[in-house]
Amino acid sequence: MPRAFRIAVVLITALLILGPVGLVVYQSFLSGPFFQPNSTLTTQAYEFVLFEEEDFREAFVNSAIIAVGMTAIAVPLGCMMAFLLVRTDLPGKRFIEPLVLVPMFVSSVVLAFGFVVALGPVGLVSLWVKSFTGSIPWYLYSKTSLILIAGLTHVPHVFLYASSALRSLGSDVEEAARSAGAGPLRVAMTVSLPMIMPSILYASVLVFFLGFELFGLPLVLGDPERILVLATYLYKLTNKLGTPSYDLMAVVVVSIIFVTLPLVYTQRKLLAAASRYVAVKGKASAQRPLAIGAWRWPALGLIVAWLGVTVVIPVTALVLRSFLASWGEGVGIWENLTTAHFRELMDYPNLVRGIVNTLLIATVGGALSVGFYALVNLALHRWRSRWTAVLDYLVLVPRAMPGLIAGLAMFWLFLFTPVLQPFRQTLFSLWLAYTLVWLAYGMRLVSASLLQIGPELEEAGRVSGARPAQVSRDITLPLIKAGLIGSWVLIFVTFVREYSTGVYLLSPGTEVIGSLLVSLWGTGAVDLVTALSTVNLALILVGLGLMFALGNKRHA
Amino acid sequence: MPKLVIEDLHLRYGSVEVLKGIDARFEEGSVVCLLGRSGSGKTTLLRSIAGLEEPSHGAICIDGRAVFDAGAKVNLPPERRDLGFVFQSYALWPHRTVFENVAYGLRLRGTDKAGIGTKVQAALDGVGLGALGERYPSQLSGGQQQRVAIARALVYEPPVILLDEPLSNLDAKLREEARIWIRALIKRLGITAVFVTHDQSEALAIADQIVLLDGGRLIQSGTPEELYERPATLFASEFMGTNNTLSVAVAERRAGRARVTLGQHSLWGTDRAESGTAKGDAKGVIRIEAVRLVDGAGENRVPVEYETSIYLGNQFEHLFRCGGQSLRVLSHQRVGPGTHWVECPPDKLWVF
Repeated sequence: MPRAFRIAVVLITALLILGPVGLVVYQSFLSGPFFQPNSTLTTQAYEFVLFEEEDFREAFVNSAIIAVGMTAIAVPLGCMMAFLLVRTDLPGKRFIEPLVLVPMFVSSVVLAFGFVVALGPVGLVSLWVKSFTGSIPWYLYSKTSLILIAGLTHVPHVFLYASSALRSLGSDVEEAARSAGAGPLRVAMTVSLPMIMPSILYASVLVFFLGFELFGLPLVLGDPERILVLATYLYKLTNKLGTPSYDLMAVVVVSIIFVTLPLVYTQRKLLAAASRYVAVKGKASAQRPLAIGAWRWPALGLIVAWLGVTVVIPVTALVLRSFLASWGEGVGIWENLTTAHFRELMDYPNLVRGIVNTLLIATVGGALSVGFYALVNLALHRWRSRWTAVLDYLVLVPRAMPGLIAGLAMFWLFLFTPVLQPFRQTLFSLWLAYTLVWLAYGMRLVSASLLQIGPELEEAGRVSGARPAQVSRDITLPLIKAGLIGSWVLIFVTFVREYSTGVYLLSPGTEVIGSLLVSLWGTGAVDLVTALSTVNLALILVGLGLMFALGNKRHA
Repeated sequence: MPKLVIEDLHLRYGSVEVLKGIDARFEEGSVVCLLGRSGSGKTTLLRSIAGLEEPSHGAICIDGRAVFDAGAKVNLPPERRDLGFVFQSYALWPHRTVFENVAYGLRLRGTDKAGIGTKVQAALDGVGLGALGERYPSQLSGGQQQRVAIARALVYEPPVILLDEPLSNLDAKLREEARIWIRALIKRLGITAVFVTHDQSEALAIADQIVLLDGGRLIQSGTPEELYERPATLFASEFMGTNNTLSVAVAERRAGRARVTLGQHSLWGTDRAESGTAKGDAKGVIRIEAVRLVDGAGENRVPVEYETSIYLGNQFEHLFRCGGQSLRVLSHQRVGPGTHWVECPPDKLWVF
């Protein structure tokens, strides 16, 4: 890659990242909307939000409590499951392991609908339990339930990092502990898990940070009792004051980024520490599973129970509900089965457009995004320059922006920039927002393939007489082709699942399933919501099928 | 005119200076070996010639054309230096067939299709792989891959070919065969070759000129015979061959000769010290094949105590003790315990 081209790519990426963020920060210091000429610079919005607004303070406290609570649930559970599934002779682990990651691939708003349909006051499971006991022994819309569900659904994030760290650990260290007289639980607590501490710490910060970004779950589960968190507060702010209050929204966005950016930075430092930790240890010897004897059955029971509550019950109930004409107390399942809701979907042009747009943005858009991520990666590839460090840090910024915020910033950017205005109501604006939100993730997917190419393969091209651009075209790109296709499938699933980024960009022409679900839920159209969610799940299933067909097991 | 000239080349990685001023000139059509231990800078020097590293100071000229000149701010990218390069790992492109690997350099030079076909076939025939063009690199053995790498570097007839330890991934038997055919191939094509190795016997076998490097400096440059017979420094003498290195005391120096004492015995050796007349502690180096087992006392002979022997197949290697130091000697005779006499010819005993 010629140097000028590399710098151009870095600058364009920096513009893409800093443009929306800069606009939001600028807006937060204005007295009115940025496009009104009489807006003046002021800090009054900050004074109002931070010191006078009760709801904001409450939302902030709630976010903090939920983030702490779900970390406290997800981390121990995720570590335990990783140890059981990776290091022990647990029966059936080969079938269970891929299932554990399912909650990562299902959009959390869909999962939340599933919980409502299954365990809500008139849920399928709730009413079934009530028919035996006379009352429902739980209440879904409490803060405790929200924390519990958030914790359970984030177990896979911990599992992912803990299991990959455990896999690189030689089993000799555990065998040494066993022969010294330690039982399996003691081995896990005193040897295996402490040895992967950096990875666990990294996952803990990740989950804590995701807790602050939580949107889908509190939107659906917190609404009946008016439990606000930062993201839902931002979402409600539009309706709360009647008119869109740009300055207040901007302040909320800046506050959220103020919390998340240091967390993302900490994560980055921890990741570097974790990889060093693993590198020091050298090669892992052959792994033999640890026999845990009779412990196997309670352990298996724990994992199956988690799977049941977190995946099977909500997903099954949601799909079942989408095939039921109606539901309530005294309604039978068998005589009510119907496909009417799916036919009904076809009657709404915006819903049909939403499905088509989702497919378009996930397939074509996903491919274009992977192309963009590959371009940026190639621009930075084997370039010893300060510019690479600049971009390394810039990529942290979109990571610190939850989809909802990035969507809002992008929406404003398209309003604000004259050249972009004609594209505001096209899929281009949505694609750009999606690409930005998943920039860090996509960059990592592509760079994982690039890292596997030995430098001498490219040097051999140079000495044979190829210019840098020819080396990229003839050698580097063909060598990472399989990796790029794998990345595309993962981005496909990610884009199908995405719901929050499109919320503010939702307009005739830019509907996608995710954002339609959020707005439909507000109208109470349960039949349509469950049917559309089922379509969404089916699309994700196609993506996961593709992933397995390609034998691609790389995730985050 | 020399084919390749290197002038005062310096290169640093951060604060570490890897090359500390290398000057060398390589004649057209010669096979040059860059010899040294790991970390001596030999591979860095080769990569600098190819344009894969950027030196901080100095100049490199090929055919009188400066490809690198720090003073004049000339630094041609690798693709414009028109060199062949054979990597230690061979670096064959796994997504291309053998034919396509070799053809790539020709395609970049705009050779027409028919020309590519004949030249690639000729290059593959030249390395004895004429029938394997349609295979992928992963379907070849290590030795075959190495031949493909060489064919790929030679096919567009570069004036200079650079080889970075090309034999180090082969097993011992293949390696000895490869030395012979690679040298024959390069000589037949009449091109200049620069060859990096850490194996002195490989360098002796393959090179017209050996450049010995250590710690980023050039220690000695010359023909294999010069390096082996007349090493310039203690390092050079110890690096080549198998040696006895003895701690001795210099008693007198006279006309290029030095008389040293080894224990109570006096020996004449060749004076190789740089500083001239100094007396005192010195090192005496003698190749193990230069020490002769003799019948009794005489000029430049010392008595030694037998310690042990190993059988090498074609001869014996005996280990003796002499004044608290060990002395290795090659001989066709079996010897037993007791005192024996050995002779160290003055022209073979170098005193540094």
